[in-house]
Amino acid sequence: MKTPSEDHDLIRFLDGEMSDTERASFEVRMETEPLLKSEVSLMQRMSADFRTHVPAEMPVPYADFFNSQIQMRIAQEEPVTLPAVRSSWFDWWRIPTLATAAAAVAMGGFMIVQNQKQPANNSMVHSIYVPNPSVQAHSFHSNEAQATVLILDGVEAMPSDRQMVSFHIERTETDQAMATTTLFGESGQVVAVVAKDSRNQPRLVSANPRG
Amino acid sequence: MPAFTAPESGEVSDSDLVKRCQAGDTRAFDVLVNRYRGKVYAMTYHMIQNETEAWDLAQEAFIKAWRAMPNFKLDSAFYTWLYRITHNVTYDWLRKKKIQGDGEFDDSHTDHRVAAGAEAVARHEPAPDTALKNVELGVRIHEAIAQLSPEHKQVILLREVEGLAYEEIAEIIPCTLGTVMSRLFYARKKLQEMLKDTYENAL
Repeated sequence: MKTPSEDHDLIRFLDGEMSDTERASFEVRMETEPLLKSEVSLMQRMSADFRTHVPAEMPVPYADFFNSQIQMRIAQEEPVTLPAVRSSWFDWWRIPTLATAAAAVAMGGFMIVQNQKQPANNSMVHSIYVPNPSVQAHSFHSNEAQATVLILDGVEAMPSDRQMVSFHIERTETDQAMATTTLFGESGQVVAVVAKDSRNQPRLVSANPRG
Repeated sequence: MPAFTAPESGEVSDSDLVKRCQAGDTRAFDVLVNRYRGKVYAMTYHMIQNETEAWDLAQEAFIKAWRAMPNFKLDSAFYTWLYRITHNVTYDWLRKKKIQGDGEFDDSHTDHRVAAGAEAVARHEPAPDTALKNVELGVRIHEAIAQLSPEHKQVILLREVEGLAYEEIAEIIPCTLGTVMSRLFYARKKLQEMLKDTYENAL
C-alpha cells in the first residue's frame, strides 16, 4: 500500500516539483515498478489533454458591457471606501513643490490653458473644475494684457498678499491605453499627468511643475 | 514629491496600475480588468460551467478586488491576489447553491459545452476522425471536471490550466502545501477513474 508521501512523490514528479536528485531516484523506481510507470504515463497524457481542452483564458461575452458594468458599480461605491482619495486637481496646490513656489489659494478651481501651439494671444481656457458647487468659475483672456483671468464667484475674500500660481500648458497628449493625459509646458517639459477618479473627476497622477 | 516617470509605450506593470487604483484611478483598474477578465472568467466558468453565472461571478470578483484594493500591500503578484478573491467569490456561490459537500459525482448543475477543440473543426465540412475523437475527449474532460468536488476542481484547474506552482495554489486557497499535493493526487485519481474508459476504448 502506498503512503501519502509516495502519492506526493507521484504528483511532484508529474508537476516538475522535484529536485534533480529526487527526479533521478523516482525514474529509477519507475523502471522497477511497471504499474507506477503506467500510472505516470496515463496521468501525463491526461495532463496534456487537460491543457489542450480546458483553456486558461476565455473570451468574455459582451466584454465591453462587462467592463462598463464594473465601472458603473465602482462609481456607485461610497467614496470613503477608497484610500487616500482626493477630490480634484485642486490637490496640485498641496504639492510641496508648489508650496515652495508660493502657491496658495483658499478654494476654487484649476484650469488648463491650452493654445495648441498657437500664438499666446489665442490662449484659451480648456477646462475648469470647481470642487465646491457653490462656487462659480468663469474666465476670459485679454489679448491686450496677454493674460487669462480666472474669476471665482462665491469664494470668500482672499487676503491681498495671497499669491497664486498657474502653469502655461503648451500641449497635451492622451494615452488611450492608460487613460491618462500628459500636460507639457512651454519648453516641452512634462508638467503633470492626469487621469480621472471613480467619480469621473480629474485626478493628478504625477506632477513635475518645475520641469 | 515622487519622481515623474512618463508612461512607456509598452505595457504598464500590474504594480504600477495597482498603485494608481489605490489612489482612486478607475481607468487604471479598467486596464487591469482588460488584462485579466479572460482568465478570471475562464476560472469561474470551469468551476461553475454556466456562462451566465460565470460572467456574474467574474464581475463580482473584480468588484471585490476594487473594494479590497486599499488593503492590498503588493506582497504577492496581483494575479495571485485576484485569483484568491475569485476563488472566494466562487466558493461563496457554491456554498449558497449548496453544491459543496454533496457535489461529488453530481453533474446535475452543469451546463456542458463543447470543448475548445471542437471549435477548430471547420463548419459545413466532414470532420476528420481525429477531430471527432478530439471533440469527444474534450467533452469527456469537461464532464469529468464537473463531477469533481469544488476543492478538487479548484486545485486541478489552478495546476493544470493556470499552471500555478504548489506554493501559489496554497496561497490562493489558502492551505498547506501538503493539502495541495493531497488534493491534486486525489483529483487526478478521480479523473483517471472517470476517463479510464475514454482512454482505453476510444483513443
